[in-house]
Amino acid sequence: MTPDSIPQMTPGYRLHPTQDVVLIPEGVLELSGPSRDVLLEVDGKRTVREIVHNLAAKYEGADENEMLDDVVALLGRLAERGVLQG
Amino acid sequence: MPATTRPQSLICEVTHRCPLHCLYCSNPIEMQQSAAELPAEVWRRVFQEAAAMGILHLHLTGGEPLARKDLAELIQAGHEAGLYVNMVTSGVGMTEERLAGLVQAGLEHLQLSFQDADEARANYIAGTRAHAWKLGLVPLIKRQRLAFTVNLVVHRQNLDCLEEMIALAESLEPNRIEIAHVQYYGWALKNRSLLMPTEEQVQYALPVVEAAKTRLRGKIHLDAVLPDYYANFPKACVGGWGRQMILIDPAGRALPCHSAGILLGFEFDNVREKSLSWIWEQSPAFERFRGDAWMSETCRSCDRKERDFGGCRCQAFLLTGDMEAIDPVCTYSPQHGLMEELRKPVGDELLPIYRNS
Repeated sequence: MTPDSIPQMTPGYRLHPTQDVVLIPEGVLELSGPSRDVLLEVDGKRTVREIVHNLAAKYEGADENEMLDDVVALLGRLAERGVLQG
Repeated sequence: MPATTRPQSLICEVTHRCPLHCLYCSNPIEMQQSAAELPAEVWRRVFQEAAAMGILHLHLTGGEPLARKDLAELIQAGHEAGLYVNMVTSGVGMTEERLAGLVQAGLEHLQLSFQDADEARANYIAGTRAHAWKLGLVPLIKRQRLAFTVNLVVHRQNLDCLEEMIALAESLEPNRIEIAHVQYYGWALKNRSLLMPTEEQVQYALPVVEAAKTRLRGKIHLDAVLPDYYANFPKACVGGWGRQMILIDPAGRALPCHSAGILLGFEFDNVREKSLSWIWEQSPAFERFRGDAWMSETCRSCDRKERDFGGCRCQAFLLTGDMEAIDPVCTYSPQHGLMEELRKPVGDELLPIYRNS
């Protein structure tokens, strides 16, 4: 996962409509902190950088560069577990 | 003791009919007849009740779910209730058109099992010529928007080929591979002497699975189910009795696990008559082995009770005749010596016992 990757959810892996979990085959992954907000932005069209830019507008006072590092790391972990492609 | 946890999974055996006759089948010996099968409208109500209770996953299994003509309707009912719908299938009876219909109805995950890497040996275990059909189905599955798991059930007849089986599974590019040692209940128990792996096979398999996990990390997720006859502590069977899951058999009986129907002196409530939440919270069957009041002093005073919840009641019953006994897999069981006896190799002249369809 890099700032220029275009992540998308893997078929059969999805955010629960209300709870902070990702539904995956045979289980759930618990989400913490702002992970849910990040995943809500994943649409298979925008780059990680664009997603973070969008999020930064919502989180007032957040440092966009720091946020980019955190989001790349988070999405990288989810990609490793098969939740995301791209 | 009343329910202290909320169930996470609902496993529905929608039929016991199956075109396969796998030697390790977990279905009960006394299978439900098709005339007794729950109609779709009852399943729909049960799925809605499950979702209202906070259950997230619906597993449609059998028998072979495709044997039900109304399978798409069942999937749609689960999906509309808000459940994540998984299906465990042999693929026999699947066509591209039918699969597309199931995915459109809301199917999100499909599990297909392979009995061996070699066609003749796979067909021998399945008791029918299904291997080539399954292989042919995979490209159709891969074209759908669907998570895909390849299940490999392992035992003495195929463990020596584990690396080839993993290579086959890998070549099919699933999201997930599950390698499960046979658990000895139902038809598998009848064929235990034929299926029980040797010590050498178990020792060979452990590092093979670990190496595959490492090699596939980031590409294919690998889960493994260990051979509990070779363990020193029991498994937390179904995550603990009445703690995580509810199984509904084709006739609507609600069970705490696949095998509980064998336990004597039990009345299992039926979803035709009772709501799922009543069954979870109030039914005597689900309460029977919750908590630690039923346990022997050995288990009650043991730290591991929070991890294994007293092991498997069906195994205790099947191996000792006493469903309250310590699971003999446990090293602290006075009957642990049994496991050594049962692991002893027997000759290969044994004949397989195939389930009827």
